[in-house]
Amino acid sequence: MRVDAYLIPVVDGVAYGLLLAIAAAGLTVAFGAGGVLNLAHGTLIAAGGYIAAATSSGTWPSLAAAVALAAIAGAAGGGVLAAATAGLRGRGHLDQALLTFGVALIGGDLLTTVYGPDTLRPRLPATLEGTVEAAGHRYPVDRLAVLVIAVLVVAAGYVVLHRTRAGRLIRATVDDRAMVAGIGVNPRLVDAAVLMCAGALAGLAGALSTPILGVGPGTADTALLLSLIIVVCGGLGSVPGALAAALAVGVVQTLGVTSFPQLAPYLLVGAMTVVLLVRRRSLPGQAAA
Amino acid sequence: MAHPIPRVRRGLAATAAAGLLLAGAACSSGAADTTTVRVGLLVSLSGTYATVGEDMQRGFKLYLDTHGGKLGGRKVDLIVGDEGDGPATAVPAAQKLLERDRVVALTGLVGGATVDKVQTLTTEKKIPLVGANARPAFTPVGGKPRDLAYTWHTSYNSDEPGIAIAEYVKAQVGDGEVYAIGPDYQGGYDELRGFTDTFTRLGGKLANPDGKTTFTPFPSTENFLPYLNKAAETKPKAVYTFYAGAAAVAFVKQYAQSDLRDVPLYAAGFLTEGSVLTAQGPAATGIRNVLNYSPTLPNPTNQEFVAAWSAAGHTGQPTTFAMASYDAAAVLDRALAAVDGEVTGEKLNTAIGQVGRIVSPRGDWQFHPIERRPVQRWYLREVKADGPVLSNVLVQDLTTLPTT
Repeated sequence: MRVDAYLIPVVDGVAYGLLLAIAAAGLTVAFGAGGVLNLAHGTLIAAGGYIAAATSSGTWPSLAAAVALAAIAGAAGGGVLAAATAGLRGRGHLDQALLTFGVALIGGDLLTTVYGPDTLRPRLPATLEGTVEAAGHRYPVDRLAVLVIAVLVVAAGYVVLHRTRAGRLIRATVDDRAMVAGIGVNPRLVDAAVLMCAGALAGLAGALSTPILGVGPGTADTALLLSLIIVVCGGLGSVPGALAAALAVGVVQTLGVTSFPQLAPYLLVGAMTVVLLVRRRSLPGQAAA
Repeated sequence: MAHPIPRVRRGLAATAAAGLLLAGAACSSGAADTTTVRVGLLVSLSGTYATVGEDMQRGFKLYLDTHGGKLGGRKVDLIVGDEGDGPATAVPAAQKLLERDRVVALTGLVGGATVDKVQTLTTEKKIPLVGANARPAFTPVGGKPRDLAYTWHTSYNSDEPGIAIAEYVKAQVGDGEVYAIGPDYQGGYDELRGFTDTFTRLGGKLANPDGKTTFTPFPSTENFLPYLNKAAETKPKAVYTFYAGAAAVAFVKQYAQSDLRDVPLYAAGFLTEGSVLTAQGPAATGIRNVLNYSPTLPNPTNQEFVAAWSAAGHTGQPTTFAMASYDAAAVLDRALAAVDGEVTGEKLNTAIGQVGRIVSPRGDWQFHPIERRPVQRWYLREVKADGPVLSNVLVQDLTTLPTT
């Protein structure tokens, strides 16, 4: 088989992986810094997707509005979750999980009631609907656009987390809450801000994925499951770990499933098992950020 | 969709519908006169297959509304139950229809798994089940073959679309190879097996590397591009597929973006049937597919059916799901007309066995005496603009199935 046969699946895997990275980054940051195990994360992603699909009407301004609205709605959802989980602080992750799971069920039903049971896809400007030819293969323009935006978001996220005061505060909160309080910053404010940022990332991930995957009643569950796999494999609370795990999942889900079609249903879980066995020390909060 | 997968999700709508049903049942109980019959319609009103369920409900109600609310001269008290995503919701709903509402016939039923479970309940009660969608391969229970005396369908068997189109595809590709791809579950196996078995028997060759159909994980596969580009490497002369629902939308959209774009795509008609076609948009144009119905069939019954559908204010064109449910009402209409006096499940079932030719929007058909499902024509359709909307436009007749 020619080498370039792998080119498109790899590009596709990276694009898909970066998309998953944005989705999972929100979950891992919310856990690492905000201390919240947010099972409504998938629902926020689906909400972003629905809002984007309903807003984008085939013009560039509506597309921009769709992405912005999805992120804002995600942030608002994150705010609600921050307020709801603030009262549960100190009662352990199980109570939070139960609360956010309930929110996810209610939110999921509300979304189906509002947007119907069908899978929705946004209408995109004609340029994005086309394909480009590279190395004798076709590739959809919308996926390239998502790839570019995802790279930008990941880069921006890295800069914010490592080069700004806000980012340092977040990382400091992950490592040592008492010390953050000691320097005069209320860690709870950081928690709330982090949950809103995580929500915005979820909304954005939802908006970016709808042109490729569509958004329907199953989106929330799938997004949450993949995000959890990525967060667990990457180390709870670790953003670089999540990025690496997301890229791995992306490549497994594109190159892997076509290279070993008989194993396709088990490939992802199999890979996860191998990672967890090899790296037998992933305890909550201990992975380096 | 012909083959739903049960999912553990129930909508608020289920609760609401159940509430309405209870209220409806309470109002109508005690009406024991012979001029009114109670018919149960069990379809998905919530969950993944709500769109199909709604279509089937519209089809059945359209027949009632265009026939003065009567079947066989008797006023019909139609009681609707929610099938949800499968047996978990459907079995309690069916029990309620059978035991509390004491319906004389049960119709609708979207999913194969539901039919499989509910069929034993209706048979036990000697109530005819007139299914209008999936008909599963009834597996023996406790080592005994199923008693199918009370089980009828106005739809089709899952392998029939593939059987019907195989000869046409063979003629189109000549000595060329066809790539077969479908979803990894029972419905996918049946649909694809119908095609590949018939196609290879006619001397056709599959382009798939090991000569076997490629099955994609279902419902987790949302990204078909890697599979499609992989398929393109085998340089097929054509592709045959079956997907339904959300997967059908993703498949068609991504096919038009893949290296396979210029390779002709043939499919079981569910790929482009109903609301999925609207979501697929122009990417679906030119797909040739096979089904037992097209809204552009020229027979007068269909023209009346399509006109009544639009007049009822339903968006889009009627689907095979709506048509089969409309025909279930037609079957009950003729059968009830033949029953004298009080209607019992046994008398009605005997009458269904003697309804003879059903005049239908799909063209006239009758029940196969043993299989208890239609002997009907299958049609080749092509997705084209029909006025302002995309439609599955009739191209030609293919064949009549079952042949024996």
